[in-house]
Amino acid sequence: MKRVAWIYHPDYLLHTPPFEHPESPERLVAINDHLGKAGLIERMVPVTPEYPEDADILSVHDREYLNRLETACRRGDLTLDSEDTYINRHSYNIALLSAGGAIAGAKAVAEGTVDRAFCAVRPPGHHAGRSVGMGFCLLNNAAIAARYLQARHGVGKVLIVDWDVHHGNGTQNIFLEDPTVFYFSIHEHPTFLYPGTGRRWEIGKGKGEGTTLNTPMAPGAGDAEYRTTFEQTLEPAVERFRPEVILVSAGFDAHRDDPLADLQVTDEGFRFMTRHVVGLADRFCGGKIVSILEGGYETSSLTSCIEIHVRELLDE
Amino acid sequence: MARRMKKNIVTVTPSASLFEAHARMREHTVRQIPVVSGDGVLVGIVSDRDIRAAVLPAGLVPGFTAEAAEKFMKSTPVERVMTRKVVTATLTDTLEDAIVLLHDFRMNALPVVDAAGKVVGIITRTDVLEAFIDALGVGEVSSRLEVVVPDRPGTLAQLAAIIGSFHVNITSVLSTRHVEAGKRANFFRVATLNIGPIRKAIEEAGFKILDPSQFLLP
Repeated sequence: MKRVAWIYHPDYLLHTPPFEHPESPERLVAINDHLGKAGLIERMVPVTPEYPEDADILSVHDREYLNRLETACRRGDLTLDSEDTYINRHSYNIALLSAGGAIAGAKAVAEGTVDRAFCAVRPPGHHAGRSVGMGFCLLNNAAIAARYLQARHGVGKVLIVDWDVHHGNGTQNIFLEDPTVFYFSIHEHPTFLYPGTGRRWEIGKGKGEGTTLNTPMAPGAGDAEYRTTFEQTLEPAVERFRPEVILVSAGFDAHRDDPLADLQVTDEGFRFMTRHVVGLADRFCGGKIVSILEGGYETSSLTSCIEIHVRELLDE
Repeated sequence: MARRMKKNIVTVTPSASLFEAHARMREHTVRQIPVVSGDGVLVGIVSDRDIRAAVLPAGLVPGFTAEAAEKFMKSTPVERVMTRKVVTATLTDTLEDAIVLLHDFRMNALPVVDAAGKVVGIITRTDVLEAFIDALGVGEVSSRLEVVVPDRPGTLAQLAAIIGSFHVNITSVLSTRHVEAGKRANFFRVATLNIGPIRKAIEEAGFKILDPSQFLLP
């Protein structure tokens, strides 16, 4: 059995929607309950996230944006930048703590106190850009973790595998011209789903050309198409890139029961993806995986898929 | 037209050589250049294809070399190969006019001329595609909805009201005939990730949301 860090903080529940919203604290409550009842939390290594240092956030986001977010929260604004991205008075702090969760997972893995980490954090992060919040995301947790590993642990190359059903436009933009962070995304085709980016010819720019890889899936695609993409597209790219750590932007909304998209991935699809990425990590980067929660909005499939995900990480 | 046309136009005179015209095309990455007289009045248009077609027959002569081709291009004036009957657009034409002209006359570019016949701009297929990309809202952060409605007045307003009730902006609307008689298909791009409740409300109002997977069937 592998040592897997469990990153969670009760304060993550303080970021609450002012109106009915799919990205709610109940998601984490359900995950916590479910993993607890399945006896999995006790088999993981609990790690309590801390508030990150400014420098770690500023490695990704502009100071002006942080100020704007903080002011909006303090002022009692209901949304930031777009109407679907809500905030409350706690959201600035909790967004920092969410990024702190991703950092805590990265730290535990980099220092070798655990083999892998699962960060049950919210708000999610992959739509958040350098100076803009959108798509329920305020700070880009995965991007911050990648920069943290590079700045504090001497990591050179980081691979981000983003299997949230939505394209991680924020993460892509942040690393668009950066050859040291490989961004791979599998998502529903941008013609049909938010945010409308992640077309197959978006491959990075300048020095970063070739270290962005997008694999849009047609509506209705499921386990078979995901399997083919992981084996035939992701794997050769990873073989060429040789990452030192793998971060997973782990959304579970490509599941057939999720209401926000049109894909047909099943529990077994998420088992396959986790197992495949674990295999890649074992081959190329000493097994180092930091999995960071993104989307997933249907409680039953969200919790069952995360159970499978965690069991695969535990390698039991 | 004035808004979408390119104003920084590259032109040549009728006496300019093919070599010069070709060099200007490469320099400005364009495929065709309006030919203008000294006072800027349009007298023709020359394309890279016209130039290639002019050089090709000479290439069939035995002993024809790259140097000979260059010499030929340098000694042949544009007026020998240019198209004299040019399909043009005017400043008062609309973008829709341009689309129809480009399509009906199978053109790649339309010089835009003023009342005196002077070239003031050029509009190409690329400019038209750009206008479509903007109109379709491609590239704007948004979700897409496809709704089939009965072909009667007021349905678009009803849909817009439903979307508006979620405090969500519509960034693009397209309404077309549907394959089914008596129905129209309305396409919306809306600035939200949270599309589920909007879909639900539209269905509850009695409209049919098209399943995206149906779009990709052959």
